[in-house]
Amino acid sequence: MAAMKFYCDAERCIECNGCVTACKNENEVPWGVNRRRVVTIKDGEPGERSLSVACMHCSDAPCAAVCPVDCFYTTDDGIVLHDKDICIGCGYCFYACPFGAPQFPKEGAFASRGKMDKCTFCAGGPLPDNSSEEYRKYGANRIAEGKLPACAEMCATKALLAGDADMVADIYRKRMVNRASAALGKGFQLREQNIGSGVDLKGKVTN
Amino acid sequence: MSDKKQSRIRRHRKVAYSLLSLLVLTLVLPLIPYAVAEKDETAGKVFNPGTELWRDVRQRDRDVIGTTQMKSVDAGVLINEYGETWRHFRMQQLVPYGAALMGIVLSIILLFYLLRGPLRLQEEPSGKKIERFTVFERTVHWFTVAIFWLLALTGLILLYGRFVLIPILGADGFGITASACKEAHNLFGPTFLVALVLLFLTFVKDNIYARGDMLWLLKGGGMLGGGHVSAGRFNAGEKIWFWIAIIGGLVLSVTGLILVFSILGQSREIMGLSHVLHGIVALVVISVSFGHIYLGTAGVEGTLGSMTTGYVDEAWAKSHHDRWYAEVKAAEDGSDKIVDEPGLATEGKS
Ligand code: HEM
Ligand code: SF4
Ligand code: SF4
Ligand code: SF4
Repeated sequence: MAAMKFYCDAERCIECNGCVTACKNENEVPWGVNRRRVVTIKDGEPGERSLSVACMHCSDAPCAAVCPVDCFYTTDDGIVLHDKDICIGCGYCFYACPFGAPQFPKEGAFASRGKMDKCTFCAGGPLPDNSSEEYRKYGANRIAEGKLPACAEMCATKALLAGDADMVADIYRKRMVNRASAALGKGFQLREQNIGSGVDLKGKVTN
Repeated sequence: MSDKKQSRIRRHRKVAYSLLSLLVLTLVLPLIPYAVAEKDETAGKVFNPGTELWRDVRQRDRDVIGTTQMKSVDAGVLINEYGETWRHFRMQQLVPYGAALMGIVLSIILLFYLLRGPLRLQEEPSGKKIERFTVFERTVHWFTVAIFWLLALTGLILLYGRFVLIPILGADGFGITASACKEAHNLFGPTFLVALVLLFLTFVKDNIYARGDMLWLLKGGGMLGGGHVSAGRFNAGEKIWFWIAIIGGLVLSVTGLILVFSILGQSREIMGLSHVLHGIVALVVISVSFGHIYLGTAGVEGTLGSMTTGYVDEAWAKSHHDRWYAEVKAAEDGSDKIVDEPGLATEGKS
């Protein structure tokens, strides 16, 4: 059993929001809903980094644990999906999710929450693969077509990696080794490279 | 002393001093970095950029709110620190302890009923009726009851349906039930506040603490020792239930409204906290209401009529609410004289 995972390489992400746009375009998600978002930490300060985040398809998913109607399921690829025909839009998955992945269109009385929508790893939903109904409710099913998620495929710097966890880990491990050896070769100075938080080598906070 | 000898001594002395200072230096020099380091704890530490970033993301040392283009609630938060606490509360505490609380209260009531049976009247029913609740008072009561139980049942289905109803109805079937429950709960939730205000205005005047209430409580309302304890229109137990219902209802309404109006953009933390309060108070109020329902129906003979027909037998009034009975009688007699709290003087007699 494979386990599909995302990894966002903070040393590469340039906060272009291309993944967000690719996702919206590919899946035609409802108004006000963003399955993916890019968050920048220390914006405009030394040590600024950006990360693209969506549903992380948790192995032991908190959203599934709290759902009052038990509408989540994990596919053979380790992708966490849910059934919108059963979801009641209570918002509990949003309270429990570590990554703020579940999103809600505003509907009904008091513009309260509609049925939950979240990143599907571009794997559609419980309806027949690539049926028009599946597309309408859950967006594209690229996995069924043998393709990887649109957001990662779009990523210009290849910061956002998506795929089997072992392969993602391999790619990232190679990057880390390369980065470390390049740094050592240059007589690496963390401070000169402006890597890390705003704390210099003498431990003084510079921002 | 010859010059030669003196220069030799001087040379020896130089060697000795050199050796001594060398010894002192070898001992002291390595300590200098420690002395410096003590002033500056972080010196010499290399900050791993990865660690620093993930420490911020994980919010280990401080709240880190990032910036993002998204406008949704808490979009700038990468890791929701509070989520796991909330999950643990709902699944490991609210669900089992809530069920236990309701189960224990119901068992105690059942046991009490089986062992002691209903509280009987001490005199034969006189057949003479007096009015206990006006039409308006009864309407307010039943209006509140209807909304309360609609909300309680739909809420309990949301809380326990996954464990109790999915095995019976299946996931799809329960999806429809749960959806209806959620809509009903959210739609009728706000009307509960209206009922609560009406309930408060209608009954508050008779639910203020009065002399004799403490005595009633100390005697366990006559349930434990036997015999009846003097009381006004409402006894201390009823007064406590009134305030639990009002204050609990108020907490339920405020937290419920925070949960319903997610459109206002309150944070997950506020909503999670509201849910915690909502859940605890709901289960406590529901459990206490079991006691209220028992005493209003099977628990005390002749009580139910007061809320259905509005009238009670005089024997019932004398037995349970002697001071109120005396007040009613006094008013009927047209005399305005203040009743001299007969029950207090002759408590237990009635
Ligand atoms: C002003 C009144 C109330 C409002 C606005 C309100 C609103 C809510 C909301 C929004 C939820 C979250 C689930 C959902 O979206 O349907 C909820 C859950 C719940 N409510 Fe209420 N409610 C109110 C009164 C009550 C009362 C009177 C009770 C019971 C005595 C109650 C019991 C519950 C229970 C048991 C839950 C389920 C908690 C869970 O599933 O974890 N509520 N309520
Ligand atoms: S919605 Fe949140 S909790 Fe559920 S699998 Fe995705 S990241 Fe995990
Ligand atoms: S919003 Fe839908 S998916 Fe999320 S917990 Fe509620 S019912 Fe489950
Ligand atoms: S995997 Fe698909 S659904 Fe998920 S964020 Fe990427 S594009 Fe959107």
